Amino acid sequence: MTSYFIRRFLLIVPTFIGVTILVFAVTRLVPGGPIERMLQEAAMAGSDVAASTSGFAGHGASSLSDAQIDQLKAYYGFDKPVIVGYAEWLGKVVRLDLGTSTRYSEPVWDTIKDRFPISIFYGITTLILTYSVCIPLGIVKAIRHKTTFDNLTSAVVFFGYAIPGYVVAIALLTVFAGNLGWFPLSGFVSDDFDDLGTLGKAADVAYHAVLPLIAYLAGSFAVTTMLMKNSLMDNLAAEYVRTAIAKGMAFRRAVFAHAFRNSLVPIATSFGNNITLIVTGSFLIEQIFNIDGFGLLGWESLVERDYPVVMGILVISSILFMVGNILSDICVAFVDPRVKFGSGESSQ
Amino acid sequence: MIGKDLALNPLTLKQWQRFKSIRRGYWSAIALVVALLLSAGAELLVNSRALVVSYQGEWHFPTYGDFIPGRTFGLDYDYETNYRDLKRTFSGQGAGDWVLMPPVPYDAFENDLKVGVYPPYAPSITSRHFLGTDTTGRDIVARLVYGFRLAFAFAAILLACNFAIGIAVGCAMGFWGGAFDLLFQRVIEILNNVPFLYVIMIVASVIVPGFWTLMAVMVFFGWTGMTWYMRTSTYKEKSREYVLAVRALGASSTRQIASHIIPNTISVIVTFIPFSIASGITALTAIDYLGFGLPPPTPSWGELLSQGTRHLESPWIGGSVVVAMVLVLLMVTYVGEAVREAFDPKQFTYYE
Repeated sequence: MTSYFIRRFLLIVPTFIGVTILVFAVTRLVPGGPIERMLQEAAMAGSDVAASTSGFAGHGASSLSDAQIDQLKAYYGFDKPVIVGYAEWLGKVVRLDLGTSTRYSEPVWDTIKDRFPISIFYGITTLILTYSVCIPLGIVKAIRHKTTFDNLTSAVVFFGYAIPGYVVAIALLTVFAGNLGWFPLSGFVSDDFDDLGTLGKAADVAYHAVLPLIAYLAGSFAVTTMLMKNSLMDNLAAEYVRTAIAKGMAFRRAVFAHAFRNSLVPIATSFGNNITLIVTGSFLIEQIFNIDGFGLLGWESLVERDYPVVMGILVISSILFMVGNILSDICVAFVDPRVKFGSGESSQ
Repeated sequence: MIGKDLALNPLTLKQWQRFKSIRRGYWSAIALVVALLLSAGAELLVNSRALVVSYQGEWHFPTYGDFIPGRTFGLDYDYETNYRDLKRTFSGQGAGDWVLMPPVPYDAFENDLKVGVYPPYAPSITSRHFLGTDTTGRDIVARLVYGFRLAFAFAAILLACNFAIGIAVGCAMGFWGGAFDLLFQRVIEILNNVPFLYVIMIVASVIVPGFWTLMAVMVFFGWTGMTWYMRTSTYKEKSREYVLAVRALGASSTRQIASHIIPNTISVIVTFIPFSIASGITALTAIDYLGFGLPPPTPSWGELLSQGTRHLESPWIGGSVVVAMVLVLLMVTYVGEAVREAFDPKQFTYYE
């Protein structure tokens, strides 16, 4: 078992290289790459200026000199072949140097680091809320299967299952922030945050967090609740619970002491993936609510063509993603001692 | 022949009956089919071209085909006729000429601008903008209908590509095993560990995709899901007696896979169809929303959503597209649940 997990961790290395080389090559090889795009945009901006200021003739405003282009390429590291460029980039990453942001002119790591607290705040709050709502709800739904309560909550759960979080976010924003004005439109805190007292600060953060949190919850809520309900129902129908009750055990105790523990196994299979959500948040929801977290940074750096940051975010999110998958497997092995990874045909 | 087989196959019949007995899934399927048929003929319902023009006793049908210049109808220009104006002109003349416009007389691209007022215009029945216009004066009903058609087509083609690759590779992996299986396991592992949305955004920001390039990118990163399921079920089926039997009878690998294994894994395939459609629509809309999807002025729900969030003072923009999206996704998911029930009835033995 230990050897299985060691092998999984070692496999991160080739997978990581595979992922990054893929993206690296795409940003370099595709015609109309970043430099060409930049030149094009510069040319368009130039001709706009030329058109609007009648004093200048249109020519010459659009093109940079070849020397300037070469300089630009050298600045972005585009003057070398892809493999050399990639090797250099990877060499730096191994030394924990993600390069320098072209937009902020500061180390990529510093730029990314500043955004973590906000994403982590949302991630952890969502995590706590999801599990503290979904597990009890799933239990109640399993015990009261086919009652009015079950059917009513099923409708809500189904809705959350069918509708992606970002659509919920936009709906909430339109109704509660835009139309009714009950909640702020965007941001993590108010402008006058620094002048508030401790209580005021907490209230301010909470006030800004209500809508995004509902949107985040909508994404993860349905799957976890249904998983909990279905697996508890399967376990309740199992022989061992029937036996326990036949021997005179109280129903309540049979549920919580026997069935409940076993039905946590499917929930554990996705537990590790929360690490991705915790740290990286969601591109869409952060963008919708203009929350200055990791996801919004990723989006902005793409729009601004700040490729060192783009690659840096890719590095961090793909490593977290892989670690999360392994964590999930560890969780499963931990809750369910019957599971043996790595022997014979793989777990699927 | 195939149709006859399907009709006579008692299992298929039973599955169809089970599907029909799940009312909300069945009605959602009907509603979706109607919506798709209507949107396929959207040019007849939502269009700036007239359905019928009767001019000097002669009937014209401008909906499909080349545009008809204004001079044909006695107007003083050679570009495409503005049929809404023509209708007004004709009814003013009272010479027996008439124009029959579609229920929504706008297409998805024209900017219906008014003098002295800036768009977006609120919904209005008199101007026939039933859901208002977007920020550049394009009719929202038209954008929604044509956007729906495009998104659904995109999702369907994406599904076909993903399934074709997934079924082929997955069957081969499960059937042959060995080095081929190991190689593709690694490939799938790499592709599965790519943060999907982010990588699509990176690629799209570099190449500025059209319909087919975006499709290619999404297929490239998306075929793995189906592959994995097909691999597992082929692997299971392969070791069962009926496959051993046909192999003993001398059936080739292709025959074993195509006429024996795949028909027996059809329930896996069919069950995934509705959910793949839903995720295809969701993904395309998300990418469009973030601004890395289909280039403007393509009618797109994602682009409307992004206008909606930037113009909260015009709630009809965000409101219409959110409602449309919720309806479509709910219906697709209802169908999906019903299909799953029909093909794989999970009989709950629950505690009483």
